[in-house]
Amino acid sequence: MAFPHRPDAPELPDFSMLKRLARDQLIYLLEQLPGKKDLFIEADLMSPLDRIANVSILKHEVDKLYKVEKKPAFSSSEQLCFLVRPRIKNMRYIASLVNADKVAGRTRKYKVIFSPQKFYACEMVLEEEGVYGDVSCDEWAFSLLPLDVDLLSMELPEFFRDYFLEGDQRWINTLAQALHLLSTLYGPFPNCYGIGRCAKMSYELWKRLEEEEDGETKGRRPEIGHIFLLDRDMDFVTALCSQVVYEGLVDDTFRIKCGSVDFGPEVTSSDKSLKVLLNAEDKVFNEIRNEHFSNVFGFLSQKARNLQAQYDRRRGMDIKQMKNFVSQELKGLKQEHRLLSLHIGACESIMKKKTKQDFQELIKTEHALLEGFNIRESTNYIEEHIDRQVSPIESLRLMCLLSITENGLIPKDYRSLKTQYLQSYGPEHLLTFSNLRRAGLLTEQAPGDTLTAVESKVSKLVTDKAAGKITDAFSSLAKRSNFRAISKKLNLIPRVDGEYDLKVPRDMAYVFSGAYVPLSCRIIEQVLERRGWQGLDEVVRLLNCSELAFTDMTKDDKASSESLRLILVVFLGGCTFSEISALRFLGREKGYRFIFLTTAVTNSARLMEAMSEVKA
Amino acid sequence: MDCYTANWNPLGDSAFYRKYELYSMDWDLKEELRDCLVAAAPYGGPIALLRNPWRKEKPASARPVLEIYSASGVPLASLLWKSGPVVSLGWSAEEELLCVQEDGVVLVYGLHGDFRRHFSMGNEVLQNRVLDARIFHTEFGSGVAILTGAHRFTLSANVGDLKLRRMPEVPGLQSAPSCWTALCQDRVAHILLAVGPDLYLLDHAACSAVTPPGLAPGVSSFLQMAVSFTYRHLALFTDTGYIWMGTASLKEKLCEFNCNIRAPPKQMVWCSRPRSKEKAVVVAWERRLMVVGDAPESIQFVLDEDSYLVPELDGVRVFSRSTHEFLHEVPVASEEIFKIASMAPGALLLEAQKEYEKESQKADEYLREIQELGQLPQAVQQCIEAAGHEHWPDMQKSLLRAASFGKCFLDRFPPDSFVRMCQDLRVLNAVRDYHIGIPLTYSQYKQLTIQVLLDRLVLRRLYPLAIQICEYLRLPEVQGVSRILAHWACYKVQQKDVSDEDVARAINQKLGDTPGVSYSDIAARAYGCGRTELAIKLLEYEPRSGEQVPLLLKMKRSKLALSKAIESGDTDLVFTVLLHLKNELNRGDFFMTLRNQPMALSLYRQFCKHQELETLKDLYNQDDNHQELGSFHIRASYAAEERIEGRVAALQTAADAFYKAKNEFAAKATEDQMRLLRLQRRLEDELGGRFLDLSLHDTVTTLILSGQNKRAEQLARDFRIPDKRLWWLKLTALADLEDWEELEKFSKSKKSPIGYLPFVEICMKQHNKYEAKKYASRVGPEQKVKALLLVGDVAQAADVAIEHRNEAEMSLVLSHCTGATDGATADKIQRARAQAQKK
Repeated sequence: MAFPHRPDAPELPDFSMLKRLARDQLIYLLEQLPGKKDLFIEADLMSPLDRIANVSILKHEVDKLYKVEKKPAFSSSEQLCFLVRPRIKNMRYIASLVNADKVAGRTRKYKVIFSPQKFYACEMVLEEEGVYGDVSCDEWAFSLLPLDVDLLSMELPEFFRDYFLEGDQRWINTLAQALHLLSTLYGPFPNCYGIGRCAKMSYELWKRLEEEEDGETKGRRPEIGHIFLLDRDMDFVTALCSQVVYEGLVDDTFRIKCGSVDFGPEVTSSDKSLKVLLNAEDKVFNEIRNEHFSNVFGFLSQKARNLQAQYDRRRGMDIKQMKNFVSQELKGLKQEHRLLSLHIGACESIMKKKTKQDFQELIKTEHALLEGFNIRESTNYIEEHIDRQVSPIESLRLMCLLSITENGLIPKDYRSLKTQYLQSYGPEHLLTFSNLRRAGLLTEQAPGDTLTAVESKVSKLVTDKAAGKITDAFSSLAKRSNFRAISKKLNLIPRVDGEYDLKVPRDMAYVFSGAYVPLSCRIIEQVLERRGWQGLDEVVRLLNCSELAFTDMTKDDKASSESLRLILVVFLGGCTFSEISALRFLGREKGYRFIFLTTAVTNSARLMEAMSEVKA
Repeated sequence: MDCYTANWNPLGDSAFYRKYELYSMDWDLKEELRDCLVAAAPYGGPIALLRNPWRKEKPASARPVLEIYSASGVPLASLLWKSGPVVSLGWSAEEELLCVQEDGVVLVYGLHGDFRRHFSMGNEVLQNRVLDARIFHTEFGSGVAILTGAHRFTLSANVGDLKLRRMPEVPGLQSAPSCWTALCQDRVAHILLAVGPDLYLLDHAACSAVTPPGLAPGVSSFLQMAVSFTYRHLALFTDTGYIWMGTASLKEKLCEFNCNIRAPPKQMVWCSRPRSKEKAVVVAWERRLMVVGDAPESIQFVLDEDSYLVPELDGVRVFSRSTHEFLHEVPVASEEIFKIASMAPGALLLEAQKEYEKESQKADEYLREIQELGQLPQAVQQCIEAAGHEHWPDMQKSLLRAASFGKCFLDRFPPDSFVRMCQDLRVLNAVRDYHIGIPLTYSQYKQLTIQVLLDRLVLRRLYPLAIQICEYLRLPEVQGVSRILAHWACYKVQQKDVSDEDVARAINQKLGDTPGVSYSDIAARAYGCGRTELAIKLLEYEPRSGEQVPLLLKMKRSKLALSKAIESGDTDLVFTVLLHLKNELNRGDFFMTLRNQPMALSLYRQFCKHQELETLKDLYNQDDNHQELGSFHIRASYAAEERIEGRVAALQTAADAFYKAKNEFAAKATEDQMRLLRLQRRLEDELGGRFLDLSLHDTVTTLILSGQNKRAEQLARDFRIPDKRLWWLKLTALADLEDWEELEKFSKSKKSPIGYLPFVEICMKQHNKYEAKKYASRVGPEQKVKALLLVGDVAQAADVAIEHRNEAEMSLVLSHCTGATDGATADKIQRARAQAQKK
């Protein structure tokens, strides 16, 4: 069963323009260095590049392609071009190459193309290494990659760590630029909502950009009626849960990278791995991506039977019909067949892996944590999980989930779990814990409720724009999660009368087997319903965002009713496929369509890895 | 009408030339023009006079005076010349005055006599002195050509982007050429010079002799040459009183004329209008002005006074002590309308309108006449066009009135040409006013464009007029009013006698938040004039904080710059300021500043993490941030240090820091790690294999796997490994070794703290059902069913479940019942269930 869109669902804007823009700009930049050249591409940029330009286009401009790696490169070209993220380690790599050439008495041309933008710190490093004069720098403002018809990704996974852990705000400018680009291409957004410090800063910076370049978007008809900006730290819980909708599960199990996944031999049932694009164009996938996993198998087998029936039709055919069948339908059927067998393979593989890890137990514990009962038992489960060295990332995730849902661990558990973890996985995770504490993901319960006074003071301090930003010590205090209270307020745990029918979901909770409505999605739903934050004051206070929730509505008569049902949701710090599925479901229920813009698609493992310190 | 054409002078059959007065000059010249160096800028530009030049007969003691006037004679500037002797003056395209000194230095002055800059024309010029110099205009800007005492030429085609070019030598040139000029062809500047009867063309590569085609014989010397405004035509005046006119390429002759005056003329300039077939040259002697062209007769004027000619795009301006006149070919439209007995449609329309005003029926007759020929649109067009070429508003009005009258009888005459002409004329009349003194003609105005005209008004500080013109023409604010206001503000900040507050307030009042005005640019100007305080005040009005930063840095207000940069949200800007601060302040102050700006601090920390680790440590030290210091040393213990002693030392430092941070947990954990490291080192030495950097759990596992049970136990005790973990660990390790005997021994060593279900699970994972069954029997009752199911004993599991009367267990067993083999068991459960329900 696939969810059909309501007949009145609005059309999505065409985002392929973003791809063309990026491609043309890249080609233009490469042409700026005329003649034969070798191109060094940073590994992180390979996949995004692959999605917008195939190699043959690049071959026009480029002789050989290399990956930016740690080892020295052997290129004989007279011109070297580097396509990199603005990272200091890349600068050092380039500088070492240039300096090696200098020692060897070789002169070549070097060009560095930064994507999505250049940072002054990078130029600084080039200068410190003494090669600033030897290289020319350029920017490739490729910040929005359409991964799917309704999903735009900035492909900046480091956004999460940089902002939410290190307090580094440099990506905010990039984000504001991206929003500015969207509004120039798709018209202004008449209704803006947002919550979170990063959301607010991005929004303000974006608006300032619009003001500086005023006139351009004025008079344009808005194509997208609403924009909602949301910080990831508003809702860590949802991101930390195991995913059980198909697309999320595939991401958790196989890791979807830039919209495609590598299915290994165990899935393809051959000896080769296969790279598969997962998007709306894959008809089979499109029908199951938002489904709870328990439905997927049944759906696929039904589909297989239908397919067989269609194949079987040819038995009774005469020559002419057969000819028709072969020329017109067979190809489609074969394609479907191929996809079907792939997804069936993936399902099998997921089932195998999950049963091995006692997936049921795990989910049960998670649900218990979300609902807040049997805490002791859950804590013991986590401890055993650590003791048995099941998986360092999983254990960490459960600890964080426990901490956030319980407003921090009680001191005894905090110590013992950490001790156990260090014994299992090594002492360097002392740093991981320090990171998690700073980000508010794994904290110790403070005795009593004396904190609230300090807290309110801090949140005032936080919102004072001039004094601006808070010191580390305060930030962890301010980040009390209050999950339980919020959950009650927003009714995140649905009351279950009997079995929750996952085949015919009644609310967004279906993405977590009916146990929990994703907080982030619930916030969005509520704000859209109320057209603002009225009546949500208590929730906003509990989210520690008293001054960080904003609404900005412009009266725009030009906005068509169709555009007013299109909503762009911007996740700062990443969103999960479960959230995407949940909002797609909400859209179908209410006649909206959601478009997602995320700094990167994330899941619990990526979140934890971003916080982990591993030995180099 | 006949009086109107009184000043029209025919030249040949087809053209008329007229001369009319622009202004009567009331400049108070003390000396004759002939005693001065004179330079007048084209497009009705200003006039510069340098009196008392360095004439040999004059006493050298008196300093000369440089004076600048508008075209109407209004004084703009006057300054005492204190530099060296000047050879030549000229105006650049930007209306800057270039004064070429004898030593090759060119001084540049503004319209108001303000010194701008100077540059030199090179060493060669300096050594040989300047004999003569010309300022000329090219597509790139304004050029300077210099003839040195060594009879060599040096030129620069654009003084804005000074590239000196020394032209090749003219072979056999012993004396100065009799006349010379700069030519500009195909975007390259050449020099044309005359030596005796010969002409030479110098380009940057070679010198070639040239001969004008069709030159009359008997020429022994050229006295004057003139290039037209557009460099397309050339005129030569020979010692025989003969004038040759042709193309500047010297490929074609246009016409010639013999004036029979052998005296060298004072000036000779071209007088032609764009797109006109007529070509004429104006030659001036002391008391005589002659217009010659392709006609046997010339037009002659008597000059009462010493006069000076200024070539323009479409004519020649002639000014003297008392008057300023314009001499030009009468445009076609005017000629058609005003020529005596003209029957052109425009002429008839003008007549018709006049009759109409007199309320005479003749008006109708004239109109009919035009309409019968179907020429009314042309008539209107002609009148509009002719109005543009008239200097006097009265005549403009009557022509426009005629056009408007004619328009009434036309259905679909597009109104824009009429409207635009009215607007243009209004602007032109405004700038032609005596007080403004820019006598632009319509063609010049169109060539110059309104933008340049506005620039020139701004240059003359005529801000109100410029703004009025912008508003009148409804120019977009950014190009129009706000640009001019910004210029005004930049001028305003230079008024030193007004206090900072007043200037800032006045500027803000006028500018408000007009779009397109950059307060930071104005502030930069204020700072340039040394008014830092004013600059800061002005910056306060700048809405884009990012724009404020570079100037604040320049003014050494780095801390203010830092907070502005942070406000702007642009991290690059913050970083720029940070590096500035780092160099400006001592380390302590720098860190203190950072401390108060967490956003900048985290940015800088990120940079240090990658690039300057030592600085990072200092930062934490400064802040007494022991927690982070501890983390820093922990990281160092496995990233920076190689030797075990170094690593332990780093950990010790970390532990100390953690104690200071009151983080006992971290301190203890670190100390444990130090012990573990030392121990692992010993283990490696004693047992071989790899132990370093394993976690405690893995260390113990490795020991068990290598049969070192005793050591494993010891380690577990030393590090207080909890029983549960130890049991799990041993269980897994022994199962991995498939040491079932030892496992069984272990299981019996005491009561398992983790129960016996894990034993079953682990054995099953190793596919040892036999061993698994052993432990299944020992599993406690609450997990019995699970254990039995694990070993595959469905029947017994069912029995236990039924015995427990546990619904959940029963369904669990049921879900494990597969196919026929377990059919009986399934039935049994169903029966038990039914029974339970009955009760």
